[in-house]
Amino acid sequence: MFRLNLKIALRSLFRNKVYAAINIGGLAIGLTSCLLLLLYAGYEWGYDRQFKNSPHIYQAMINLNDQKGEVIRTINQSQNVMLAALKEEFSEVLYGARITDVYKRLVANGQESLKLDSRYVDPDFLKLFDYHFISGNPTKALNDPNSIVLTETAAKRIFGTTDVLNQKVRFENQVDLKVTGVIKDLPTNITYGFESLTTFTLYENLNQWPKKPNWGSHDYYTLIKLNENTDIEAFNIKLKGFVGKHFAAAKEDVFIYPLIKLHLYGTFLNGKSIGGNIRQVQLFVGLAIGILLIACINFMNLATASTQGRAKEIGVKKTMGASRSNLVFQFMLESFILTLIGILLSIILLEFSLPMFNRLLGIEIVFDYLNPTNWILIFSVLVITGFISGSYPSFYLSGFNVIQSLKKSLNFKKGYALTFRQVLVVIQFGFSVVLIVATITIYKQIQFIKNMPLGYRSNGLLEVAHEGLLYEKFNLLKTRLLSSGAVVGVTQSSGSISNKNSSVRGLGWVGMSESDKMIDFDQIYTTYDFTKTVKIRLLAGRDFDRKFASDTAAILLSKKAVEVMHLKRPVGTSIVYQGTKRNVVGVFDDIVWDNPSKVAAPMVIAYADISDVITMRLNPDKSLSESTSIINKLVKELNPNFPVEIKFIDGLNEIKLKNEKILGTLANLFGCLAIFISCLGLFGLSSFSTAQRIKEVSIRKILGASITELMTLLSLSFLKLIFIAIVIALPVAYYIMNNWLMHFELRTSLNLWVFMATATLTLVISILTITWQTYRAAKTNAVDALKYE
Amino acid sequence: MIQLTNIEKYYANKGVKNYVLRLVTTTIKQGEFVSIMGPSGAGKSTLLNIIGMLEEPTYGTYEFLGEDVTSLNERKRIELYRNHIGFVFQAYHLIDEMTVYENIEAPLLYKKIGSSERASRIADLLDRFNIVAKKDLFPNQLSGGQQQLVGIARALAAQPSIILADEPTGNLQSAQAEEIMTLFKKLNQEDGITIIQVTHSEKNAQYGNRILHIADGVVKEDLAVLS
Repeated sequence: MFRLNLKIALRSLFRNKVYAAINIGGLAIGLTSCLLLLLYAGYEWGYDRQFKNSPHIYQAMINLNDQKGEVIRTINQSQNVMLAALKEEFSEVLYGARITDVYKRLVANGQESLKLDSRYVDPDFLKLFDYHFISGNPTKALNDPNSIVLTETAAKRIFGTTDVLNQKVRFENQVDLKVTGVIKDLPTNITYGFESLTTFTLYENLNQWPKKPNWGSHDYYTLIKLNENTDIEAFNIKLKGFVGKHFAAAKEDVFIYPLIKLHLYGTFLNGKSIGGNIRQVQLFVGLAIGILLIACINFMNLATASTQGRAKEIGVKKTMGASRSNLVFQFMLESFILTLIGILLSIILLEFSLPMFNRLLGIEIVFDYLNPTNWILIFSVLVITGFISGSYPSFYLSGFNVIQSLKKSLNFKKGYALTFRQVLVVIQFGFSVVLIVATITIYKQIQFIKNMPLGYRSNGLLEVAHEGLLYEKFNLLKTRLLSSGAVVGVTQSSGSISNKNSSVRGLGWVGMSESDKMIDFDQIYTTYDFTKTVKIRLLAGRDFDRKFASDTAAILLSKKAVEVMHLKRPVGTSIVYQGTKRNVVGVFDDIVWDNPSKVAAPMVIAYADISDVITMRLNPDKSLSESTSIINKLVKELNPNFPVEIKFIDGLNEIKLKNEKILGTLANLFGCLAIFISCLGLFGLSSFSTAQRIKEVSIRKILGASITELMTLLSLSFLKLIFIAIVIALPVAYYIMNNWLMHFELRTSLNLWVFMATATLTLVISILTITWQTYRAAKTNAVDALKYE
Repeated sequence: MIQLTNIEKYYANKGVKNYVLRLVTTTIKQGEFVSIMGPSGAGKSTLLNIIGMLEEPTYGTYEFLGEDVTSLNERKRIELYRNHIGFVFQAYHLIDEMTVYENIEAPLLYKKIGSSERASRIADLLDRFNIVAKKDLFPNQLSGGQQQLVGIARALAAQPSIILADEPTGNLQSAQAEEIMTLFKKLNQEDGITIIQVTHSEKNAQYGNRILHIADGVVKEDLAVLS
């Protein structure tokens, strides 16, 4: 029986090639999209879970409180003494490690010199994470302060081989380190990634500030491993007031948070987690289910629409003694065969599309054929899809009445059967409409933010790192750069103009209130020519000037800063900044420094010779390649040990919109796919439906209907459904996208044309899809259609 | 074998009852070959459908093999289809996706008959109807008469005690029709299979041994055929 059913199913597939192609094609595309999205969701979900200790690693987090003890902000960095204090006072804490931010550090071995993503960590870092050591001993690798652990790729890039144990490298052009371990490359979905690891002790030796115990500065990530049966909630209650005990002035509380939740639930509001990247995961899973559903709906629709052909078979089988379950089983089998073919096809498609998908999202997902989880995933998708697509046709078809099904033309039960199919089409197109609106809205929002005035001219602005010998030779470099004609302005600053990297609170000014102490000001240090080079507009006063010796203790305020400080005449007043008096010499227009979708924070530009970045404005009269090669040459000349890396501010700003861009691309991609699959279904459905109505069409033709009239007649029944889908989906789309936009402080509006455009686009695509069928039907020779009756 | 008592069938439409069958009472014994005749719309097919349990009467009782089957549950009915009743249709109704062999095999599969028994029964039928050479062809590769032969072979495969045929020769040319009717007669006389057929043709009716004339839902005449 099974074999016969299988044979029949395959034969009927071959007989209805178009139907099979539409069905399998739609299913394969749907399944591929679904698998891609699920793999991505799995990738996000798997963040930091790769290690044996993962479930027991916790991160020390700090809740910053205001005067009243309310949490105003949660930060994930803590003090340099936090780890030691925790270990000393709580027996639950077994061990832990401090970790610095990842930073490009110069690593050289005489031939090769390059910058690696590096972190300074405590030795127990290697106890927390059981990395796969190719060579070296994980328990001892970081015990000697002058040791370095490299990833496989990093080792190959420097030495050309991974067999580099005990080799020497020059680190930051300051100290020689011994390679004590080479580990397999890390997965990309981990929070604390790196290319090289060096010891925290080295960090303390190279710099003065990290060593001094300091409860006032939060600079390091602190990870701890807890005793496995520790009650986390109870432990966190014990931690209340812990910081205050050590540092009375602190208005903050430390608490521990599971590392595996950090990525997914790492956004905090009022001290409580309110989500994080889990939103992305949910979105993608939702999208995956939606697309799969569309493909399943296609299947159901086409299967039930083809009943005319199947009805006879069902009737006959029933008279031969087939039970309903026999028939349900048969149709389920057919559905599973189609799904299986679809899945095999989709695995091939997946192979082709995965590299593109990875490039698009900047991630690395591979479909591991040896991993049983992947097969379980595929198998469950197969079962679910097969079952959903097969369910309705099976029960619908197997429930046919024998008499009805054996009569020559099957009269469909008016009402239920047809309406259900119509509902399915409405769902399909509704989903597509939501995706189109999403695509347009996301695109609009990105454009909106892009087009917002930055407050400075980013075009033609570039930066290089201020490092090595450039510190002492900055003025020489500046002179050479300017006289070369490659650039028209050079300045140094403590951070890039494109990214917020520092803020300060506790400024003092005349007339301030107590709560003003808690206002955070963005801060950047610079010396001369900053506003001129970056082209920040000065609203009042002037920039720091060499002519005024007192300017080394001067400060510039942003428009917003003046506003929040309620200063009537800012220029000339003096304020207390970091404990010292500073003279305000100028007011500048607000710039976009942080997240471009946020309202700019108040900002100060303070004079100080603390610098990490050299920013230059290109000479517009010179060609880009010529200028950059001159810059390259001049910088290299003065700082030969460091590779020169020129970054364009435009490019850096672009990166800030990466998440939104990814979302836009995904909505676009999967929106198009959803519409494509829906249209495939519509195409198939309209071909069945017109075939059923061919007699009616012929009679009308004999009665004198024109081709246009007939086409309108045939199209209308479908366009009606599309119209209903649009009417239902637009408010839903409005609701969803409005919610999405609410996450941005600065946001575009959802205006009418977005919805009009979506509606028109959907209608036009649908009309194009069905026109071919209706035209063919309307053109048929009436005699051909009628003589079979 | 079949006992119909006061069978009525009507369709209510806006309170108006449209009668198809009125108070039909008749008995059909094992081994009879009954032809149901009458003008179009007389209710012949409905009567056959009720006998075949494809439709339920609105009123009246129907006993099949001494058992009241007026309203039978699905499982019981399927049992009867598998073991006792074979259907033959005017439009043959072979399954297009199946070969001749598979069409004949299908009822045996539903009856869960073992493979060797299946093979021998099918071989026997193919042989008997001279369609061995056609066993791997699909229905659309056969002539109408050949299709109907397969249809009958299929109906016989499960070794039913009764065959219900709705205008079995309605779509056939006269030579082929004759062949089919001769076959029916032979099955009736040699194998003792009860046959009930609906037919328009007086000539076909003569192959049987009893004719029920129906008009306007009422049995007008119940004649024995004298051979």
